[in-house]
Amino acid sequence: MKKFKKITQDTEFWVFIIIVILSLIIQVRSGQFFTNNNIVDIIRSMIYPALGAICALLAFVSTGPDVSFPMIGACSSFLAIAITKSTGFNGPWIFVYLIAIIFGAIMGAVNGFIIVKYKFPSLIVTLGTSSIISGLLFGAFEAERTELPANLQAFGSAALFSVKNVKTGLGSSMPYTFIILIVVYLVAYIVLNYTMIGRGVYAIGGDEISADRAGFNVNAIRFGVFVINGCVAAIAGLSYATMTLHYLPAEYSGGEMVVIAAIVLGGAKLTGGVGTLRGCLLGTLLLSMVTNSLILVGISINWQKVFIGGIIIVGTVIPMVQKHFASKNSGIHQNGGNA
Amino acid sequence: MTKVRKLHIDDKVEKLIFIFVVLFAVMALTKGNQILKPTVFQTIARQVSEIGLMALGCSICMISGGIDLSGAYIANLAGISAALVMQKTSGNIFAGMLCGILIGAICGAFNGVLVAHLRIPAMLATLGSYQIFQGIAIVISDGKTVQGNKILAKFAMGKVLGIPIPFIIFAVVALGAIFLMGKTSFGRRVYFVGTNEKCSIFSGIRTKQVLLFTYTISGVLCGIAGNLSLARINSAKADFGSSYIMQCILISVLGGINPNGGFGAVPGVIIAAFILQMLSSYLNTFPDISNYYRDLIWGLALILVLIANYYSDKRKMRK
Amino acid sequence: MENILSVKGIKKSFGGVHALKGVDLTIKKGETHCLAGENGCGKSTIIKVISGFYKPDAGTIEVNGIVHPHMTPSDAIKAGIQVIYQDFSLFPNLSVMENLAFNQVLANNEKFVNKKKFRTIAEEAIQKINFDVDLDARVEQLPVADKQLIAISRALVHDAKFIIMDEPTTALTSKEVNRLFDIIAELKSKGITILFVSHKLDEVFEISDSITVLRSGENVISCPASEMTEDKFTYYMTGRHFENESSTLPKEISKEVILEAQNLSAKGFEDVSFQLHKGEILGVTGQLGSGRTELSLSLFGLNRPVSGKIIMEGQEVNLNSVQEAQKLKIALVPEDRLTEGLFIPQSITDNITVTRLNSLSNMGVLNKGRLMNEASTWVEKLEIATQNPTNAAGTLSGGNQQKVVLAKWLSDNPKILILNGPTVGVDIGAKYDIHKLLKQLAMQGMSIIVVSDDTAEVVSLCDRAIVMQGGKMTGALEKEDLNTVNLNKATV
Repeated sequence: MKKFKKITQDTEFWVFIIIVILSLIIQVRSGQFFTNNNIVDIIRSMIYPALGAICALLAFVSTGPDVSFPMIGACSSFLAIAITKSTGFNGPWIFVYLIAIIFGAIMGAVNGFIIVKYKFPSLIVTLGTSSIISGLLFGAFEAERTELPANLQAFGSAALFSVKNVKTGLGSSMPYTFIILIVVYLVAYIVLNYTMIGRGVYAIGGDEISADRAGFNVNAIRFGVFVINGCVAAIAGLSYATMTLHYLPAEYSGGEMVVIAAIVLGGAKLTGGVGTLRGCLLGTLLLSMVTNSLILVGISINWQKVFIGGIIIVGTVIPMVQKHFASKNSGIHQNGGNA
Repeated sequence: MTKVRKLHIDDKVEKLIFIFVVLFAVMALTKGNQILKPTVFQTIARQVSEIGLMALGCSICMISGGIDLSGAYIANLAGISAALVMQKTSGNIFAGMLCGILIGAICGAFNGVLVAHLRIPAMLATLGSYQIFQGIAIVISDGKTVQGNKILAKFAMGKVLGIPIPFIIFAVVALGAIFLMGKTSFGRRVYFVGTNEKCSIFSGIRTKQVLLFTYTISGVLCGIAGNLSLARINSAKADFGSSYIMQCILISVLGGINPNGGFGAVPGVIIAAFILQMLSSYLNTFPDISNYYRDLIWGLALILVLIANYYSDKRKMRK
Repeated sequence: MENILSVKGIKKSFGGVHALKGVDLTIKKGETHCLAGENGCGKSTIIKVISGFYKPDAGTIEVNGIVHPHMTPSDAIKAGIQVIYQDFSLFPNLSVMENLAFNQVLANNEKFVNKKKFRTIAEEAIQKINFDVDLDARVEQLPVADKQLIAISRALVHDAKFIIMDEPTTALTSKEVNRLFDIIAELKSKGITILFVSHKLDEVFEISDSITVLRSGENVISCPASEMTEDKFTYYMTGRHFENESSTLPKEISKEVILEAQNLSAKGFEDVSFQLHKGEILGVTGQLGSGRTELSLSLFGLNRPVSGKIIMEGQEVNLNSVQEAQKLKIALVPEDRLTEGLFIPQSITDNITVTRLNSLSNMGVLNKGRLMNEASTWVEKLEIATQNPTNAAGTLSGGNQQKVVLAKWLSDNPKILILNGPTVGVDIGAKYDIHKLLKQLAMQGMSIIVVSDDTAEVVSLCDRAIVMQGGKMTGALEKEDLNTVNLNKATV
């Protein structure tokens, strides 16, 4: 019973319930939700935002918002694709990823350096660097729609498996980038939960001074978080291009809001120190369901942004209200007072 | 308002005026033939009006300890609704503009309720609300460009003594903002709330009211900006000017507003808006420089200004 | 007995300010040594020097007979030195287990998390002080006293031989303080040396074997506790002699009731009734969590009553907002000066005039001359030590800051002044000044409620007192019964 009560206090639990209810509603209204191709479609559309959600999570837990992930993704994947094409390299696709990761790490390092050295709000810094990167991408590199190099093209067209809906005749295939998603999450899970550096990410988000006194290298961890964010952003950006089978820089901007919404829904706290990968996935799933299924239910795609904004706001209000009631019920014997 | 802080503010404003003069001199010397023309000044004046209003809104919110990331989208929504009302009322531009300002006020108040009453951190509240505002703009415009109104466009092209009418509107509003934030008890309260909200409550300040009002003012300023933008371009679209968000923050920070709240003066913001707009026009005189470089320059400027302020504050601390 | 720690001639300055001007401190193995001194005397600086966080400009540190020319935090830990900070230095978002295990694991330079080992470390730690707690609970969900016990257990993980406790009793109720003292006694019996940092007289005398007093960066005396007296102690701390603060002059208290609470209940307390007479100082005392703070907030419009009545000057009043309280001329000097009382980075002038923005403006337009005048009048009246009222409030000492908070409300000319912990974190000199001022104000007809857990303060300052416990009013003491013995009896 106690355990059950504990579970119901989790935001994740409620997100899960909402997902179940929502999927049932969509199923009833359209009859199309629990079909093999729809499920594959939803998972497929989750891959890019779920990778971005890791960036948002790491940044929020340790420091504050990082809104530079779409631009870092766009720029590093552009560079990786351009270099691959200009050298005519046609080896394994993983090398293209490695090039992108290196560029992503460099851009993340710039973020990390400024935030760690000057202690500026991460939102403003990453807004600034996003703008710089966007200027470089569109101005200096003159990025525009580009076809993928052959190795990525092949990697992107290959399907892990394909399904076909017998009734509608619609088919869907699962891209190999799904494996990338799983690998990145597994690595992140192990690092965050089973290494001292990972625990340090939570520790500095909980109390920076205590972390320093305990012996965590606060600056190194924070810098590392932003470098890793750059790497993950690069992987996400390139995976997006791979899945869509072309590179189009204009498609990247705006992704930061969706992933912030996702992690907030997944229970990450804005004040830092709290947030799980499971929450990331659940939040992303919920948002992907909403955006994917509006059409299934017969709502115009124009409403998408209204829904996402609404979800962010409702998602942040609920924990506040919960806290409010929690403090109301506990009565006397709280600590000292403070209204 | 105190002597020392006044000096402190003047200090920053002085620095900004200096930057402004230097920039102007550089422009005049290198591109004098293209810059020193009344039409160029008029264009600058027209453009600075829109971004300046939005930046003022953002600055006031920053002083109150928050931020308003939704300004550009409030302006868009206001512009689109104004245009639609003008279409529906067969050209009643006053009804349209009034509607634009009203929409701005409602959006601002919505942000205010989220921040003041529902206690959502301003950054997140306005991040969420901007999606909603943009979403509503897409819905009512069906995602398409909405045509403006010819009379309005003509009115906006009008000049009094060679000064474009939109700029006169901006100047009046800006003076009002300087007065409000610098000379009134309300303005003082915004600074107090931005410094320490809890202490403000214990000092008898109605913090919720102050915050609600602050965000509503920001919304109204953006509503006016939306009207001006509609008049200038003679059309409105839901995804116009998303880069304005960055620029608003840049202008605020460049103008000396402390992103943590409680400090900074409005006149600095207005000068900063001029500096930015002039720089932008100057860049236009180099045809080989892609428009996209502007993003790069704004981003770079934001970070460099932050770093410069950091070192100058540090030096002051040592004194 | 040999010395566990001996520091000599420690100097440390920050940007031209000499925080330590040559401090000597010798601590014997196994003793409980008290380091006392007013705020800003250099207590926390010397702690940071001993624990290796600050490098001294001059002087030597000798631990267990070994001289450390350059002590680092990890040297300190290896030498068995552990600091328990005033704020406990815990991670609120993590489990008790992780909080207990982190330091040890990091000190061993381990890279991976071994949950079993974490649990073993944590279990051993809490067993050392017989502390029972759910190791999987998140720290933020625990009461303050438990947090402190976690901090103590964590210090013991490292096989600590020498524990420094920085103002450990600040957030504790007296019951919890007693438990802490039991633990300290137990640690002592295990041969652990303790440096107990405090400025509270009674605590210092209760537990220490020897005492060192610091004053403005120098040690003024070190002696066995048995050789110290209260008067001497106060003198060494402040460098001033105080005439015994006369308990309030026997004065005729007006019969006129200005404020009355009838069966008042709100969050944090229930069924409280009392009367406040014109020109009297009423004490409200009780431990942390007794509802005293909540009561003061209710009288100031910040804690809405759920039942009962508040009657002011014969009329029932609603107190649902600070504005209503302000209109009725009720003022509150809150408990936490730094977060509730002051706008630290804003000027003294701004801080004093914040309550007067309406009355010192015309139609919302501020009259700056009048604001400045008002502020400088109060700076003079209360002898606030500053060169310029335009300086930030943060530049003042604790006592002067408290005077600014007082000025801010006195400027609004209140009829009822409520003070919650009026002299917490204020040095003895300023405390004396504030007490004098409050008595004067009462003489002039202001009615004052002093909320405090400092029994000595209540006895010397108040005309009457009510006692609260566990959210209920458990007693009322008239002037003739108001003494430390009765109060302690009533509050424990």
